[in-house]
Amino acid sequence: MENFQQISDKLIEATVEIFTAMVMMEISVNGEPLDNIGTLKNSISGLVGLAGAYKGFVAVHLPENVAFAITSSFLGLDVDEINEDVQDAVGEIANMLGGNVKTELSDAGRDIALSLPSTIYGESYDFRPSDEAERIIIPFKVPGGEFFVELELEIE
Amino acid sequence: MGKNVLLVDDSMTMRKIVGRSLRQAGIEFDTIFEAADGLEALEILEKESVDIVLSDINMPNMDGISFLREKANREAIKDIPVLMISTETGDDIIGEAKSLGAVGNIKKPFTPDKVNEILGPLL
Repeated sequence: MENFQQISDKLIEATVEIFTAMVMMEISVNGEPLDNIGTLKNSISGLVGLAGAYKGFVAVHLPENVAFAITSSFLGLDVDEINEDVQDAVGEIANMLGGNVKTELSDAGRDIALSLPSTIYGESYDFRPSDEAERIIIPFKVPGGEFFVELELEIE
Repeated sequence: MGKNVLLVDDSMTMRKIVGRSLRQAGIEFDTIFEAADGLEALEILEKESVDIVLSDINMPNMDGISFLREKANREAIKDIPVLMISTETGDDIIGEAKSLGAVGNIKKPFTPDKVNEILGPLL
């Protein structure tokens, strides 16, 4: 996919914009992109699916403590467990990331559909990429720790 | 008498962020009503006095486009202005929203300055 790098750059730009403008947290890219992050431990992931001209998903994977810090900053309230507020905040970050990816990929908006955001969380879980998909995982650093933004798109 | 606004978004987080951005932008409303989808928004518009609606597009039950279409058919509420706040930027979808009466679009993510720039002249 010729424009995958371009989309990845846009994803970095969008993540920084979301955290700077709306979450109100300092953020920086934390090293080179990865092609795997292995098993996620005590984490929460927000996902938005893309269907239509492009198929795949955008996800944000956050260790619990980072998710708590982000939710506190986003909503101005203290949280210490994964509750509806944390799931909603993480889902909304995934939703905005998905929207930015769609804007980059779509001609005029109707050729790609975005799913509503969903979240999963637990003590230990894996994301298994499709064999026919291109995948990139970008590490970021915020004051609460490190987290990852993932883009997976099926190869045409 | 001050003005009232209705925020329509399935994300409670986003409704809070929009409310916070309004305050940070120095835009004050007497009452901020909230709805989680288009159906709830229509119910509130039929019952309450609302001066402007800020609405998401992608929502469960009734999305922002269907909300605009239904609202346009209801005489009592059809002239209340609706400003979209959405991740959608495509000409097809934003164009359809505007053809159904939306007065503009604020792209997520947004800053209080951007809210002020677009919403300010509409008040």
